[in-house]
Amino acid sequence: MIKFETFTLPNGLKVIFHPDKTTPMAVVNVIYNVGARDENENRTGFAHLFEHLMFGGSKHIPNFDAPLQLAGGECNAFTNNDITNYYDILPVQNFETALWLESDRMLELAFTPKSLEVQRNVVIEEFKQRYLNQPYGDVWLELRPMIYKTHPYKWATIGKNIEQIAGASMEDVKGFFYKHYSPENATLVIGGNLESAEVKAKVEKWFGDIPARERYLRNLPIEPPQKEAREKIIEREVPSDAIYLAFRMAKKTDPEFYTADLVSDILGSGNSSRLYENLITEKKILTQVSAYVTGGWEDGLIVISGHLQDEVSLEKAEEEIWAELDKIKATPIDKRELTKVKNKFKTVKVFSEQPILNRVMKLALFDQMGTLDEVNDELSRYDAVSSEDIHQFVNTKMQKENSTTLKIKAKS
Amino acid sequence: MNRKEAPEYLQAKDLPLILPEEIELQNGVRLFWMKDVKDDSVKMEVLWDAGTKHQQKSLQASFTNKLLLSGSKERSAKQISEALDYYGGYVQKELDKDHAGISVYGLNEHIADIFGIIQNALATVSFEENELQKELSIGKNRFKVDTQKVNILSRRAFTKQLFGEDAPYGQVAELADFEQLKREDLLAYYDRFYYQSPVIFLTGNVSQAFIEVLRTWSVNFRQEEIVMKKQQFSPTIGRVDVPKKEALQSAIRIGRLMFDKKHEDYYPFQLLNTIFGGYFGSRLMTNIREDKGYTYGVGSGMSVLADAGYLFVATEVGSDVKELAVKEIYHEMQRLQTELIPYEELEKVKNYMLGEFQRNADGPLSMMEMFKNIYFNELPKTYYSDFIQAIHQVTPEQLRTLAEKYLQQDEMLEVIAG
Repeated sequence: MIKFETFTLPNGLKVIFHPDKTTPMAVVNVIYNVGARDENENRTGFAHLFEHLMFGGSKHIPNFDAPLQLAGGECNAFTNNDITNYYDILPVQNFETALWLESDRMLELAFTPKSLEVQRNVVIEEFKQRYLNQPYGDVWLELRPMIYKTHPYKWATIGKNIEQIAGASMEDVKGFFYKHYSPENATLVIGGNLESAEVKAKVEKWFGDIPARERYLRNLPIEPPQKEAREKIIEREVPSDAIYLAFRMAKKTDPEFYTADLVSDILGSGNSSRLYENLITEKKILTQVSAYVTGGWEDGLIVISGHLQDEVSLEKAEEEIWAELDKIKATPIDKRELTKVKNKFKTVKVFSEQPILNRVMKLALFDQMGTLDEVNDELSRYDAVSSEDIHQFVNTKMQKENSTTLKIKAKS
Repeated sequence: MNRKEAPEYLQAKDLPLILPEEIELQNGVRLFWMKDVKDDSVKMEVLWDAGTKHQQKSLQASFTNKLLLSGSKERSAKQISEALDYYGGYVQKELDKDHAGISVYGLNEHIADIFGIIQNALATVSFEENELQKELSIGKNRFKVDTQKVNILSRRAFTKQLFGEDAPYGQVAELADFEQLKREDLLAYYDRFYYQSPVIFLTGNVSQAFIEVLRTWSVNFRQEEIVMKKQQFSPTIGRVDVPKKEALQSAIRIGRLMFDKKHEDYYPFQLLNTIFGGYFGSRLMTNIREDKGYTYGVGSGMSVLADAGYLFVATEVGSDVKELAVKEIYHEMQRLQTELIPYEELEKVKNYMLGEFQRNADGPLSMMEMFKNIYFNELPKTYYSDFIQAIHQVTPEQLRTLAEKYLQQDEMLEVIAG
């Protein structure tokens, strides 16, 4: 159970306080409701590049990291297709240092040309390191545009290509900041052994005078339902063939998400999962398999992927994966198998909520999804999933006409 | 309110570290128990002196470890993994150059059931041929994927050249080794190393009855010490290139052998390393990433194994700037030898490290990790408070002397892959 209280400043900034008397650390987390989905199609990768620039100095503070380190703190951030999240972890007695730093960069960035020039290069190296210079690293760069034709989920957070990142200008940076980095487009979450009154006073002190800016109203094109199977084969310098199957499903806040998450566990999580047991151990079709849900906030995917044994063809692997899907569609799963995946989730949940950082981040994400009041309901949501829900899900969503298949052929 | 002025800050106070209770089980099995856990989580790590340095044949240690739960006289691999999953148990195999074993994660309500399955699986583990063949094909695929990555290629060459190929620490597996491994190798390795008394690190508010279960289990082991002569190393100095065609980035790894954690230079050197490449504001990050934009990340660290310590700098940079990046790495080593570290920077790094100690000691699982460090390196229980005291006293002159002693370019091994 994650305890919290909330208040909102006149400028629109929502604040959540999570008390925890057991830790000597405090976490200050600022989540902005902007992600790769909000990018201009010709300037993709920009939300993430912008995240880098947030560490390049703000209006009154030339360097973000140094004062935080001086106060014994550490920070990081991440961007995905939906949001951008920043966090600082520091000894609790110094939590005001993080409020000072975060409030100044919400007020205004320094916009230094040097920072833009260097971070463009850093992000291009990140693009190479994580997506281009790794075997199978570019899979999602290929898959997204096959699945999404109109919605901005059709490009990856890192961007469509290096050229679009290289072309980012200071004008783009300023425009993006004033459009998206306003108090009413953010949630500030503070966790630690603190008193509510103290938190409130310090937050008002540092964030109270940030002017409210025009509210950004998101209006993204909706992706129409998929009505035909899509498929592509690409050749790459990889050691073995691989196959990826993605099915459209509901967004993260829909109850269907919990059903789908359990389906992915039944199919591909751990050595007792169906795909591992049947396609790796028994039939020796694959050497690696996984199944997971992506949890997009506007539209979701359930994905199955596998690496093939050398002597197995892509057609054979595809056929065998479909045979497993046919099985789960035909026969409702029994109680023991359902209990198994629910029990696994219970363990994961307890361990994942141990670090204060994870609890604080969860509050931030749920708030931005608009479901803060459901942050402690996950266990009951998973518990409520029935064998019928699963039967219904696999029979409606995991269909050929709702599938996208990417096959990677190893260049010989 | 002056936004240009930072709020007052206080240096992190003493480290509130709680150490586990030691319980002597049967036959020399040592149990370290951290019971002050506020939720239902239980983690149990069981480790043997069964790391890769003990193996007679490549892959022997890792595949014995991988196949620990691959089937016994009573249960197949499938039944074991299904039963563990049913009780919400997670098992992670642990393997490094010195030790090997398993970590078990679960909730208190099921931990006895989970452990029962593991105990049973280990007691009569059969290392079936088909399970070995399955793991070999999985392992071979992963090996092929890994050896397409420049960071892995640089790490492999670095390991070989740093310790020398004659030393157990210098061994790395090759693709052909997957064809040589036999079921008998695993049986022999298990018999030799997994019947000696393990050490158990238990973090969880378990019942006394569960401790008694562990006590009963401990009777199965024999108390003996694996005596292994301390290894001798023959490190390569200078440049080693690992070509990889069409690589967009090159992985650089530069380093040298060092000392263990009991050495008088250990504490101050950790401070020097943090300044050099040990945190986001380090000299290497500031220069190579934040000024030049050559890389997404660069860092340095010091690892200490049972028989050796070593320093390494690691980064992946655009292939067109690899020589420039190498030059800058040495330039930063040089600067530490010639210029005194400014007071402000030293203050910042000391405070950062004190904060880092607190972050690393946050919660029972983290505290157990800190204790394992004390245990395996045979350090005094006052190690961390001594460390903090020592950091406070380090001077810029002392750091310059250390840099002269340990950061000489002509004593470094330099590997570049891609």
